[in-house]
Amino acid sequence: MGKNLPGYFGEFGGRYSPEILTEALDELESTYQKLKKSKKFKKELEYYLKNYVGRPSPLTYAERLTKLWGGARIWLKREDLNHTGAHKINNAIGQALIARFMGKKRIIAETGAGQHGLATATVGAMFGMETIVYMGAVDVERQNLNAKKIEMLGAKILPVTAGEATLKEATSEAMRDWALNVSTTHYIVGSAIGPHPFPTIVRDFQSFIGTEARAEFKKRNKKLPNAIVACVGGGSNSIGMFHAFLKDKQVAIYGAEAGGLGPKPGEHSATLTYGKTGFLHGTKTLIIQDEFGQIVPAHSVSAGLDYPGVGPEHAHLSQIGRVDYRMVTDEQALDSFLEVTRVEGIIPALETAHAFHVARDVAKDLGKKKDLIICLSGRGDKDVTEVLRLLGERK
Amino acid sequence: MSKIKTLFESNRFKSAFIPYFTLGDPNYNDSIEFGKTILDNGADILELGIPFSDPVADGPVIQRAVARSLKNTFSFEEIFRVTKAIHDHKPETPLVYLTYFNPIYHCGISKFLDHAKESGIVGLVIPDLPFDTEESEILFRELKVREMDLIHLVTPASEKKRIQALSKTSSGFIYYVTSFGVTGERREFSVDLKERIKFLKDTIQLPICAGFGISTPEQSNQISLYADGIIIGSAIQRIIEENGSDRTKAVSALAEYISKIRASIS
Ligand SMILES: Cc1ncc(COP(=O)(O)O)c(C=O)c1O
Repeated sequence: MGKNLPGYFGEFGGRYSPEILTEALDELESTYQKLKKSKKFKKELEYYLKNYVGRPSPLTYAERLTKLWGGARIWLKREDLNHTGAHKINNAIGQALIARFMGKKRIIAETGAGQHGLATATVGAMFGMETIVYMGAVDVERQNLNAKKIEMLGAKILPVTAGEATLKEATSEAMRDWALNVSTTHYIVGSAIGPHPFPTIVRDFQSFIGTEARAEFKKRNKKLPNAIVACVGGGSNSIGMFHAFLKDKQVAIYGAEAGGLGPKPGEHSATLTYGKTGFLHGTKTLIIQDEFGQIVPAHSVSAGLDYPGVGPEHAHLSQIGRVDYRMVTDEQALDSFLEVTRVEGIIPALETAHAFHVARDVAKDLGKKKDLIICLSGRGDKDVTEVLRLLGERK
Repeated sequence: MSKIKTLFESNRFKSAFIPYFTLGDPNYNDSIEFGKTILDNGADILELGIPFSDPVADGPVIQRAVARSLKNTFSFEEIFRVTKAIHDHKPETPLVYLTYFNPIYHCGISKFLDHAKESGIVGLVIPDLPFDTEESEILFRELKVREMDLIHLVTPASEKKRIQALSKTSSGFIYYVTSFGVTGERREFSVDLKERIKFLKDTIQLPICAGFGISTPEQSNQISLYADGIIIGSAIQRIIEENGSDRTKAVSALAEYISKIRASIS
């Protein structure tokens, strides 16, 4: 396994997937290593990121939030302005290019919030590849706008009804599809999860977020920010944001995970708070599980955070204490969603709203004349119907 | 010598019949009856499934079985109790567990193996634990001191180099996956099945048993011409699914099916 790529992050990571996938994972790893060194691939990736996605995404100074919260200056890394409305497209393009290089004509993906499904359907349309998206039946309902868009783009949605019918089941089903069609198909894993080399590949394609944010902030302020914050589902936007700052010891790093309805098993997706070491979807990581090692269903108001595992690199960063992971409840996320929308004129994704809640506390603790960057991982168009429904329940 | 090795060296059969079913579907006590019936009607080795919430290597039939099983309160105590009852019915037939790694890891490897051995288990099949992991090496060592086997899966996609490397930490038999994808009944198998099994036999000095997708006596008969064993899971699980609400009916349907398959490979 990966001599040149880190397959493990501390004790986490590795490859714990069915034997039938091993050859494809080896092929993916060696192809990626080759492409990573190739100037042509780099140029091609940068071409699409610039001209199709709209990178680099801006760093917005959030003046009104800064004033309202009364602490550190707030900056927003605007992944919501990417084509398709979230960071997921960065990874989808990168992996589609790898798939094309490997000669695979069919791509599959799992999706929770629908953003990764949408990103995959989009690159599938652009590159002319047959695209299948696995989506939990529950998520097809609560993220219906994205589900409709995915189909309009010519991809096929296969709703998964097993178990809780959310992201975990969609991921299992995508792995099964891949096992059956491994010679013709590339599985575009949508977060920094899964067997090696996926967590590394996804992180690399998302690291543009942090690299750009760091460079732009430095250029404009002649220093580094004091803190950065991102939301953690599987952990792709966050690891992408964090990576460029890991070595900057003076930058405090915070992850926001879904505290859901409360601390009871089944009511949250707070993997880094309540998870224990285990094996799920091909990787060794922290997982929300019961005393017998059965995976406990996760819950979050945001479909994109509703996953009982987390990328192995986050498990490691949590263990070594480099990142401070905090829980945000459904209610708190909803409040932040409304606040940011009204104050800044930006409707954030419900996933991102979790990061805003943590950021507010951190900003207050830091105090004035300090700086904090929030990764605004996606826009909230997809969540409007769900938010209205939840507000109706509140009354 | 391991119990499985002794069995294959006994030359009692042309090809071993290795049925599988999930414990706890529809409940643990019925599992005991199903296990006894399967043993009485000609299983040479019996694979017992410990249910895991996320069985990524399994197709719809076994996924549904696992879901039904997990509607019961899961506990290792129940698993070991049922295993022991099945074992006591016919102690000479080797029993192996098929499960995903997470429950074993969570239970604690030595604790799990001690209880499993006491209950009559002589080997493990773990579809999501590749041989080239630290955990697999630990497990292999722990099994070896208990004279138990680690049965690895080899697939049509496994490269020759990998197969050679894998033979170092394999024992009992090799579980050769006959087709791409997950478990479930199939009409066709990969075209070079016979050649692949032959190559495996020459490379690894272990019996090669074929599974994934086999369901009919005709298929079993065909494959038994060159494989050392036939593994059948989904087809058996389907009988339990279709008749499980009526234990007597399920038992007689199982008896009929198992004896037919046994006869087809004798
Ligand atoms: C906007 C947005 N942010 C965050 C996430 C969570 O995923 P990850 O943790 O991989 O960034 C999602 C997932 O769908 C998303 O759509």
